[in-house]
Amino acid sequence: MKQILKILLTVILLVVVAILLLSVLKKDAPIVVVKGNLAQKPLPIKLNKTNDTECAMLIKTTRNAAEVVAPDGRTWFFDDPGCMVKWLESKPFKEQVKIWVHTIDTNRWIDGKKAKYGVKDHTAMHYGFGAREKENNETIDFKQMQLRIYRGETLANPKFRAKLLGK
Amino acid sequence: MNPLFLNNQVIVYLFSEAALLALTILLFAKIVKFLWFWDFRSYSNRQLKLEKEAYLAMTIATLLFTLKSVLLIFFVHTIDKLSLIIPGAMCAAGVISANSYGMDLLFIKLTVIFTLLLFLIANSYDLQAKTYPLFRFKSWVLIIASGLIFIEFFLDISYFTHIDTSTPVSCCSALFGNLEGANPLPFGLDITKLLLLFYMLYLGTIIALTLETKTITLLTLLLFGVIAYYGVVYFFGTYIYELPTHKCPFCMLQREYYYVGYLLWGSLFFGLFFGVIWVIMSQVGYNITKAKWASMLLLTLFVALCSLYVAIYYSKNGVLL
Repeated sequence: MKQILKILLTVILLVVVAILLLSVLKKDAPIVVVKGNLAQKPLPIKLNKTNDTECAMLIKTTRNAAEVVAPDGRTWFFDDPGCMVKWLESKPFKEQVKIWVHTIDTNRWIDGKKAKYGVKDHTAMHYGFGAREKENNETIDFKQMQLRIYRGETLANPKFRAKLLGK
Repeated sequence: MNPLFLNNQVIVYLFSEAALLALTILLFAKIVKFLWFWDFRSYSNRQLKLEKEAYLAMTIATLLFTLKSVLLIFFVHTIDKLSLIIPGAMCAAGVISANSYGMDLLFIKLTVIFTLLLFLIANSYDLQAKTYPLFRFKSWVLIIASGLIFIEFFLDISYFTHIDTSTPVSCCSALFGNLEGANPLPFGLDITKLLLLFYMLYLGTIIALTLETKTITLLTLLLFGVIAYYGVVYFFGTYIYELPTHKCPFCMLQREYYYVGYLLWGSLFFGLFFGVIWVIMSQVGYNITKAKWASMLLLTLFVALCSLYVAIYYSKNGVLL
């Protein structure tokens, strides 16, 4: 009886190790949300392994990427500031979140609510709002950018695109 | 002042914890004295006095274990009730996650109960022997328990002072349910593999305990503890709530679910505790079969209870969630 139990235990342990190894070694599912960022700092994005929560595209570059951090530390990632604004629109905690955007002029993470946004930039989802740290004649602030996205006044809208770019 | 300190249950809880802290300080001082001066071969007055004081220390430790166990249940009940006044919280899950101290506090509370239970079992065997062979071992266990109780009290105060009643917290659905595609399970597991591991590890633990293999028992117990937690939250719990989207370790402690969470988590934790205590006591030369059997029975009760919910749901509805 003892011998049978020993064999059974060995088989069970081997199966347990096999299941754990198979699970750990399998290709990672894309990251959608990261928990525990209570310091509300910008997190490094694992490129090609992180999903934009709004458009579900894999994030391939940090250029124009954005992050939203909820007060409880949950962090979501976006490939375009436009996706971030659209996703955030329906969230009950939208006023309490910390927003980070990766700038195209200084190439670093800054507070998305203080950033300036171009209106004719090339962005992943073609909304056209490239985040900048420095203001210029063509940039708008966060509130204006938000309003334009709610109204559909983005480069993704053919009518508005034609009006803005003349094509 | 944080308005939570005006809540009756919080006041009772914190005063009880403070009283137990005072007892722990007394206990700690006695234990340090024992470790320093204890010499069982001596017939001096000091040794006789120490032996009498040792009984006082044992009584305090027994009282601590009893009251800490009751207070753990009271703590869980209190944070569950606080969900009524903290915006956003629907059950204890939201309240315990209101700041970073909550989960650490819960973990420390369980560890305190484990160490005190280890002491009680070591103590009962020590008293049966004539020469107090486990005196130093159980004293060190109490030193560790005292240290943990000091940390626990610090966390108690930090936890309650850092709950902001004006800021909304997440409900259990946001914390455990709606993860927007992210896999919450450890080691990249999916539900099928998680369930396979759950039953495999349960069987492995029972066999390892039967064969009395210490290292494998410890390994399977620890791994089963982790897998069982995720199993209950992400699979078995949904059958308790009869709702596939309701994933929460705390809601099952409420009246709506007949307080089954207390039985479920109690059988799991005490099953694990008795198993680990059997391993530790075997390591110091005591094969406590009662602890081994208690572990096997409680873990079997836990697995049977989890499985029963799924079986009942299936027999009623003919489908799984």
